[in-house]
Amino acid sequence: MDLGALLLGVGRFLLSTTLILLLTVPTAFVVIQMELKIIAGSQLRYGPNRIGPWGMFQSTIHGFKVLAKEDHIPDQADRATFTLAPWMVYMAAAMSMLVIPFAPGAIAADFNIGIVYFFAVLGLSVVGLLIAGWASYNKYSLLGGLRSAAQMVSYEIPLTLSVVGAVVLAGTLNFRELIEWQRAHGWMLLWQPVGLGIFYIASLAEINRTPFDMVEADSELVAGPFTEYSGMRFGFFFFAEYLALFIMSGVMISLFFGGWLAPWPFPAELGGFLGTVYGVFWFFIKTYIFVAVAVLLRATLVRVRVDQLMGAAWKVLLPLAMINLLVTAAAVVVFNL
Amino acid sequence: MTSDVKIPDPLELERAEEARLRSAAGLAPAARTGGEYSGFESVGLPDRPPETEREQELYTLDEGEMLVNMGPQHPSTHGVMRLVVKVRGEVVIDIDPVLGYLHRGIEKLCENATYTTVMTYVDPMDYLASMHNEHAPAIAFEKLFGIKAPKRAEYIRALVVELNRVFSHSLMMGFLALDMGGITPILYSFINRDEVVDLLSAISGQRMLFNFFRVGGVNFDANDEFFSRLGTWRANVVKTIDMSERVITDNEVFRARTIGMGVLSGKDAIALGVSGPNLRASGVPFDVRKAHPYSIYPELEFEVITHAAGDSNARYLQRIAEIKQSIHLIDQIVDKMPHGPVQAQVPGIIRPKPGRAYGAVESPRGLYSVYAVSDGGPNPYRFRMRDPSFISLQAIPKLMPGHLIADTMAVMASFDPVMGGVDK
Repeated sequence: MDLGALLLGVGRFLLSTTLILLLTVPTAFVVIQMELKIIAGSQLRYGPNRIGPWGMFQSTIHGFKVLAKEDHIPDQADRATFTLAPWMVYMAAAMSMLVIPFAPGAIAADFNIGIVYFFAVLGLSVVGLLIAGWASYNKYSLLGGLRSAAQMVSYEIPLTLSVVGAVVLAGTLNFRELIEWQRAHGWMLLWQPVGLGIFYIASLAEINRTPFDMVEADSELVAGPFTEYSGMRFGFFFFAEYLALFIMSGVMISLFFGGWLAPWPFPAELGGFLGTVYGVFWFFIKTYIFVAVAVLLRATLVRVRVDQLMGAAWKVLLPLAMINLLVTAAAVVVFNL
Repeated sequence: MTSDVKIPDPLELERAEEARLRSAAGLAPAARTGGEYSGFESVGLPDRPPETEREQELYTLDEGEMLVNMGPQHPSTHGVMRLVVKVRGEVVIDIDPVLGYLHRGIEKLCENATYTTVMTYVDPMDYLASMHNEHAPAIAFEKLFGIKAPKRAEYIRALVVELNRVFSHSLMMGFLALDMGGITPILYSFINRDEVVDLLSAISGQRMLFNFFRVGGVNFDANDEFFSRLGTWRANVVKTIDMSERVITDNEVFRARTIGMGVLSGKDAIALGVSGPNLRASGVPFDVRKAHPYSIYPELEFEVITHAAGDSNARYLQRIAEIKQSIHLIDQIVDKMPHGPVQAQVPGIIRPKPGRAYGAVESPRGLYSVYAVSDGGPNPYRFRMRDPSFISLQAIPKLMPGHLIADTMAVMASFDPVMGGVDK
């Protein structure tokens, strides 16, 4: 490999990671703002309406507020791991964003095992939460950290298995190729409805959203692993949580709802910069629809209990995902799809 | 000159004093792992040797067990209750409610007050049922003094008391959901409550601590604003209650979290002294309004509602049924309300003959009663109150072992305790 190609590769890597990192902050702001406004609407409140038009900059102000807060580390806490944990959780979310296909030509890292990479990296956040729970030297944190370990490890199995059906059908682990397959064969939603159902439930559990927010169960464990965190360290957990919601919705629409594809077939081939803009437009529309659905769920449902949650994962979702995979694989072989 | 003066650390002084007291009492020095906060292991442990067998049992930890201290500053202990929970993993082994963080000595304050001013002190006890708090001493003092409130006053009393019951129960629906992580029902509950509170402030002049009852009557007659607001409220209330109920009642997750949780049998409930909706949800048809009728309840038509299951869900459904029943009672009261005065002739300073009297009412949390003794002076010689939430809380340590931490909060909320009343 000559030096030019190497430099180009390094430059491309630096540019795309910087862009992704820069993108995480406004994304989290938008998701938080949606949460504030949609929940307010369903609770018959106005919600934020003072900062900016329609209170648009409320979450931005929240972001700056956590910067100004005192950063406090308990005396008994393990300082090294205590400070490491927020970074691990945040970086897990930010790194998994690298393979999100925003539009044709707008994928930070378009490589052949993108789906495997995504689930592997997102799973790292559980390590951060477990560390946070252990390092905080607080019993609520400890219980929350252990809950997060149990919950996320259990749900990762049905979550990943539910996608394998789609992967077998499309015959690729690359997000871009999977979306191109959907352009030719129709959205994966039509081929894998059971897989979609399992994926949606398991993804809510994986990112600790209501009704599966066991980890940060505020009426039981105060704030779970985040109890002892303050200032920007807490802010990073907070950002990562909302970022994960966006990422999960993005991955779900990429896998099952055609990603950047418009709901209708025209314009069939929109190349170049225009095609990228058009793809980004549809990607964000679809993703934020599912973010809004998750927020509405939070406004509606109560939290399930920890044993009910684990029971659902091992007794219902896992067998269902297995059967789904089996049927899909058999169909692929028999009908030579 | 001043630069030489070393200002001692107050924390060090406190520790030195503690060490001195400990050595004087013949105790071992307090275990300190260093640092500003005491150690992880000792959180929840009392800083003294156990005094009773029960304490010995609770604070002795086996392998794999841990004490979790919930409260007094915890998001869902309904005020300032503290629960010391012994857990093995997530399973509760033992539980010890520690009370007294909101103790204000209201009974003693009442003993130092005149009979008329007692009403101002009892208001903030059970702050979600202030009208009931005032009703029981009014009944007791009227017995002591040998007077009767006029008929219209009794009707107005029954009306405001039932209105209060509606908002108290409707808040319970929201708090129960909140303690399970549902964030919306509580807002609907507060909307329902606000409408009733506006009504009550139209008649009494205050939104929360009404100070409305008087010995021998009530403070104000029902005015036009009150009745016009009552009409508007009555036209919509069934719909709004149904609406907020629909978010919760048939919710699959809510049902899974409440059915079969914290089952209290009727026999146990009676043995523990639990009363009110919590007792009726265990299938025991005891209602003070029927069993020991007071005020105008004998003239009104209503049934004692019960639910057989005795679990959290039954306690919740019991409240909803009672809201509907209270609305039915309010209809009858408004229908039958006579004209006339609302205050009997009472001297400025009441001096009853020596004697004793007992007044009991059915508050939203159960049998709330007042026992007053007079020595002939201008203030009660003895004044005691039985608060139903205090008694209900006794059921928590009995029910919770074997359940999970998550259910501790949910079951506690289903008993609907109000710490203002528990700690007095």
